[in-house]
Amino acid sequence: MKTWIKFLIAAALVFLTAGVFVYIFVYNKPHKDYEKASPDFELTAEELYQAFIADRSEAESLYNGKVLQITGQVDEVEKIDDLVIVMFAFSEGFFGKEGIRSTMLENHHEEALNLQPGDDVLIKGFCAGFSDSDVILEHCSFP
Amino acid sequence: MKVYRFLFLAGLLFCISESIAQTFITRNGTIRFFSETPLENIEAVNRQVSSALDAETGEFVFRVVMRSFSFEKALMQQHFNDNFVESHNYPNATFQGQIPEIGEINFNSDGEYEVTVEGELTMKDVTRFISEQGILRITGGNVMGESIFIVRPEEYNITIPSRYARNIAQEIEVTVNVNLTPR
Repeated sequence: MKTWIKFLIAAALVFLTAGVFVYIFVYNKPHKDYEKASPDFELTAEELYQAFIADRSEAESLYNGKVLQITGQVDEVEKIDDLVIVMFAFSEGFFGKEGIRSTMLENHHEEALNLQPGDDVLIKGFCAGFSDSDVILEHCSFP
Repeated sequence: MKVYRFLFLAGLLFCISESIAQTFITRNGTIRFFSETPLENIEAVNRQVSSALDAETGEFVFRVVMRSFSFEKALMQQHFNDNFVESHNYPNATFQGQIPEIGEINFNSDGEYEVTVEGELTMKDVTRFISEQGILRITGGNVMGESIFIVRPEEYNITIPSRYARNIAQEIEVTVNVNLTPR
């Protein structure tokens, strides 16, 4: 086989491999596994809520987009359609009780629904931000 | 007897004013957006939308945490937050407006009403007046609201880099669904 043909085949294989690599690991890269992710911050639920109340801008730059592990006493557990939300309440406002709303991953729904008001829990989740009334945690799990 | 009549009327007035001044709220409304191009369709969903409707004045608001939009592809979600809406700098979007036909709606019995939703939509520090059609359904004392409208990213200072221009539509269809319950 002529050298230039070998070169062409080798170049085509390199491009093909690179294309498959980009498709799988870049274009189609999986979402972060928040259940296995190490927390960026560990704090109490009240510390987290008060951080947003005291200085929202600073709290947003510190916690938004980060994985947080919080401890606190459950106020209530809400089931809204297929969402299960563990609520930590620290204030009363326009929307009723305000605090931290933790939307649980599906495989933690059963455990969340068995919680009682006043139970101490440890929850890990992704901090999406502050809705003007609540801190929003998503993809939450019980570590 | 006069005292009883007074108490009855006072009670009745209190009930009427309470029913008129009713506010309906949710903290788990849904906003979807859909972008359609020949190359790919992109859909994102946010189910953490706070919303309130004042049944007396027709004032209607919703607040959106931008990082709560969830995409099928992690890469698109990353681009959306980091490059397009820059959610680290602009973490929230808000709508504050009015339903002018609020006086025609009977919140005490089930029914469906076509309404106009008009007001100011703010994203990335850009505030624009919008006026869109929507539907309010009164069911068992709750209010379900739905509106579908078009948002042009460029009008909200959202720049799509040229390498993604063929993948993202210039007009994004936004669907708002809120199931509001009495406060």
